[in-house]
Formats: sequence, structure tokens, C-alpha cells
Amino acid sequence: MSKNGLNYAYYPGCAAKQIQKEADWSARAISEKMGIKLHDMPKATCCGAGNLQEHDPAAGLAVCARIFSQAEEMGMDICTICNTCLQTFTFANERLKNEPELLEKINEVLAKAGVRPYMGTIDVKHLIWVMVDDLGVEEVKKHVQKPLNGLKVAPFYGCHALRPHEVFNGRGGQAPQYLDTIIGALGGESVDYNGKDKCCGFHTMLVQEDTFLKMSGGHSLEAKREGAEIMVSPCTLCDMALGAYQARSEKFLGQKIELPEMSISQLVGTAFGLDHKKLGFNRLHQNPENVFKSRGVA
Amino acid sequence: MADTKKVIFKIHRGETVQGQFASRTEEFEVEYGRSTTVLQALESIKADQDGSLTFRRSCCASICGSCGMVINNRSRLACKTKVRELVDGVADKNLPASDVIEIAPQKNQPVLKDLAGDISNFYEKVDTINPYVQEGKEADKQVNKSSFEQVNMVSNCIMCGCCYSDCTEMAASPEFLGPAALAKAFRFVADPREGHKTERLKELSEKNGIWDCTRCGMCVDACPKDVAPMEAITKLRTRAMEAGVTDNPGAKHAIAFKNDIAKAGMLNEPMLLLKTLGVSGAIGQLGNALHLAKKGKIPSIFPHKVEGVQEVENIFKELDANPIEVETKQEDTGPGAG
Ligand code: SF4
Ligand code: SF4
Ligand code: FES
Repeated sequence: MSKNGLNYAYYPGCAAKQIQKEADWSARAISEKMGIKLHDMPKATCCGAGNLQEHDPAAGLAVCARIFSQAEEMGMDICTICNTCLQTFTFANERLKNEPELLEKINEVLAKAGVRPYMGTIDVKHLIWVMVDDLGVEEVKKHVQKPLNGLKVAPFYGCHALRPHEVFNGRGGQAPQYLDTIIGALGGESVDYNGKDKCCGFHTMLVQEDTFLKMSGGHSLEAKREGAEIMVSPCTLCDMALGAYQARSEKFLGQKIELPEMSISQLVGTAFGLDHKKLGFNRLHQNPENVFKSRGVA
Repeated sequence: MADTKKVIFKIHRGETVQGQFASRTEEFEVEYGRSTTVLQALESIKADQDGSLTFRRSCCASICGSCGMVINNRSRLACKTKVRELVDGVADKNLPASDVIEIAPQKNQPVLKDLAGDISNFYEKVDTINPYVQEGKEADKQVNKSSFEQVNMVSNCIMCGCCYSDCTEMAASPEFLGPAALAKAFRFVADPREGHKTERLKELSEKNGIWDCTRCGMCVDACPKDVAPMEAITKLRTRAMEAGVTDNPGAKHAIAFKNDIAKAGMLNEPMLLLKTLGVSGAIGQLGNALHLAKKGKIPSIFPHKVEGVQEVENIFKELDANPIEVETKQEDTGPGAG
């Protein structure tokens, strides 16, 4: 359950602040509709994305603890829209909550740097968990004005909200079906395909581009073969890999994909009847308007 | 057996006929009770329904590592997985409920017959990391308890190949060394007695090594022995950078984060590209950049500075002056670890 009504310390992540702005816009817009209050965290830095944590594990923990401390001061849990932020935070929070000596060491560092210590009392959630677990899917349904009329939607879950399943306390792994639940609530039909809980490849993009393009393009093609008309993801980095980079995958694979991909918030916003411009449709690589029109979701 | 139930096993079978691999799926109905394992169910099929069904097993107690196979879409040990739990679903064990149980051979390697795969690649890759302590000038004579805590987890590996079979990087890039071999490599890098730690880290930082892992976490979920290969890979990356093995895109990318966070609090995405790939590499990415620019997706070279970023600089300075050890988790050191 939520700590403070439906108030959350909102952490969109670097990608949503820069390249994937549409995910941020639409997350704010749908949250406002549903009465989920997202409060900005002006002092929050980048979470380190696992990269800082590899380079300097202690600094990685301290940077996360500093962000948690801000949310704690606000009296709220953190709500994010990026899987990598979710996992990076969850790894850190799990350790800081369960290893008192470690928490003490990190708090000493924070204190010396002039930062409020972290007491280990907040939870980090994804917006889709908030919608299903805290708000409830029946509430989500109440705001649907333009049901998806059986639109075939391929959910792409993204690794960092699923694994390692132990750290997510029953919210990760193979059993929970947050995206499927939300797609169903909007009147869409969820497409099952092998790639839906595999890796988009984003984190190897700069190290080995070919493998990345093969992975991301492969998932899109497979989803399309299974009948998907559109693909959604809860992660700004997956959105980038599967959406923004789709043309690169097409070029690499020598084959058209043409599967519109968008953030789950954009799909929810569409079903809520929000203005497509406000949802940032013009920023998508593959225009989804025709797909929606063909299902009468205009 | 009191209150037994019945369930369908859908088994992916196959064999090589005249040089061609011919696959098929077959369904068998099996009875199961409270504690029936998938392996026991397979044994009963072999005994009562089809004696030609082929699979590997030996210990029946999660020790030998020979019964790894794909069970309902994930690689698991047949002797450790209970049929009842697959049917009912157990959230804690990461099992969704299902009415049919689908069994297939392990992925990322050729199939010999039915559920038995050709595991030679998997073994060869473990062999290439020289899985033994080598003498050399970096060898430490003193071994204390805490150094054992580091290798505890990875020493539990039973070479079942479940991680290798579920690895997403392996599926896209078959030359990748893979989670088990890399976890084993960590076991030797972290052993104080090892004489060639830096050399190992150099080799492991090359193509198909530690930086090729996508961090998808499949291997952590797949491993029946809590080896958590991805964690070992992460620690190898940390140690490689500590040892100064940084002349590769993976390390450069990781290192760039700290600077950006200290300076502005946020990532500077265009600069990140430059620091990771160098000028010529970044020009190679120009196609991507132009493509993104068409949609208005150009991140600013001067991202907005977050409030109180000085605090982060203070944190980094403090940690530089007084480093703290955070590598070993408490759960790795408790009773029963290892
Ligand atoms: S985390 Fe890395 S090694 Fe483990 S399965 Fe994923 S890609 Fe493979
Ligand atoms: S690391 Fe785990 S899953 Fe991989 S081979 Fe060893 S025991 Fe099996
Ligand atoms: S039979 Fe030995 S591990 Fe399963």
C-alpha cells in the first residue's frame, strides 16, 4: 500500500528528462487524471544507472541514499517511469534496509557531505505498480473514455522491473502481469510472445551495436508475427531501444518492422481520451494514429 | 499416493535422422502428488509410456547438475522443480500457474536427442578462463576469512548450464563467454592466492567477456544454487576498472557517469557518447543522432543543473578521502552461506 495517500516523490530519470520527454509528459497527464499526485524532486540526481555502481559501488550507494533521503523528507515513496532507475534504486534500498552497518557507514558519508541521513523507510515503485497495487485497476477503468476495442498490444516488460525477482518482493519475476492487467483494463488485447520478458539490449548499445539491433529488432518482428498492432513498454530505455532505434534495427536486419512502439503511459492516455499532442505522439518513430483509427480509437 | 492429480506434460522431442534434426512435440498425461518432481514425472513417462524418452539425470538432489532443462519457458533443474508448484504457481519462487507443463531441451546449444543437449561449448568456455589458481607475482600468501566470503557464492556452481541456456546475450551472440564461465572467472580473480589477477581482468575485458553482458538478470533467476552470475560480472567490472583496465567502451561508459553526476547531477548524453566511443565512434553514431533529431530528440549539451549538486561532489570527495568497503553483502557472510 502507499505511504502517503496517492502522493509520490516523482523520479522520471535522465532519459525522460532529455530524449524520451513524451514518457514524462504522458505519465504526468494520466496521473493527474487518476488523482495520483506526482511531486517533483528538484534535488534528485541521476541514479547512476548501474554504471556508477560498477565503477564506484560505494558512491553508487551514497548517491541513491541521498535521493531516498529527499523522498523520506517529503514523506513519500518514490515513483519512477524507468526500469533501470527502478532496479538501481531497488538494489540499493534492499541493501540499505537490510544491512544496518552498511546504512550507518553510508549515513556517515552523507552527514559529512551535509546531507540528511536516510532512515530506510521508503519504498521505490514503478508507476504501473502504483496504478495496479495502490490505486487499483477498477479505478483505472473509470477513466477510460476511448476503450481500445480489442487492439492487439504487445507488452514489453523490460528486464530491470522483473529480475532478479527476489529483490522486487513479489512484484517482479514471471508471475505478476502489470502490463497485461492495464492493457486489459483499457479494452485492449495483450499479445503473448517469447520476447515479452527478454532484454531490449539497450545496455549493450554502445559496446556492441550489432547485437543490440539484433535483439531489439528481433523482439519487434516477433511481436508483429504474433499479431501485435502496437508495442508498449514501462521503461524509457526500452522505449528508446524498441521505438526510437527501430529504423536502425530495420536497416541492420534489412527488413521493415513498422510496429509503432510507445510508453505504456501514452497508451493509457490515449484510452483516457487525452490529446495526442499532449501525449507526445509527434515524437514517436512510427506514427500510431492509423492503428488507433482502424480500431475506432480516434 | 493419496490425492494424486493429473496434468499434461508437453515435451519437445527430437533426434537427428540422416543428418537432419527432426523435432516434434508429444503430450503425456502424468499423475502427481504433493511432492512429485518434474524428474520423477519424466521417469514415470519413460517407465510406463515411452521408454525412448531421453534425458540426463544422476543425483536427483540438485547436486550433479545434469538435469537442467527448460520447464515452462525457463531453465530449471528437473529434480528441484515440483509439478504441483508449476500447476498452482508460487509467486515467491517466480512461478506463474499453468495448466500444461511444457518441457524442452536447454537453449543456446545443439540438441542431441529429446531433452539431452550437447553441452561441450558450455564446458569449453569454462575451460578457456583457466579454472584454477595460477602461481604468479600477484599471489597473496595470507588468506583470511573475509576473502572466502567473496567467493562463497560462486563456488556453489554445479555446472548445470541453466544460466547459459537462459542468457539473452548468448542467444544474440553465441561467442559470448556466458554467465557460468564469468562467475567462475570471478572466483579466481577474487582468490587472494591467484597470481595473475590483472592479466585475467585484461583478458576478461576483451570482446565476448564481461562488458558484453546486457545485465538482463536472467542468469540470477535461473541459477538453482544462488550463484548470481550477473553480480559476479558486475564485481569483475568494478575490479577491472580498479586495476586500471579501462581502455574499452564498456569501462569508459561506466566511468563517464561519475563525472556527469558530480558536475550537473544529470547525464550529459551527447558527451557520454563522445567519452564512450571517442570522436570516430561518436561520428559513427551520427546516423542515430540525426534520426533522433528529426523527432526533436536532441538532448541539450548543457543539461539543467540539479539543485544541491555540490552535496554530491562532497560525497565523492569524502569517499575518495576515506573509502569504504561495500562489496560483500551481509547475506553472503551469514551462517549457511557457501
Ligand atoms: S545478466 Fe548477463 S550473463 Fe546474465 S543472463 Fe543476462 S546477459 Fe547473460
Ligand atoms: S552458475 Fe548456477 S545456473 Fe549457472 S551453471 Fe552454475 S549452478 Fe548452474
Ligand atoms: S539430477 Fe542431479 S541435479 Fe538434478
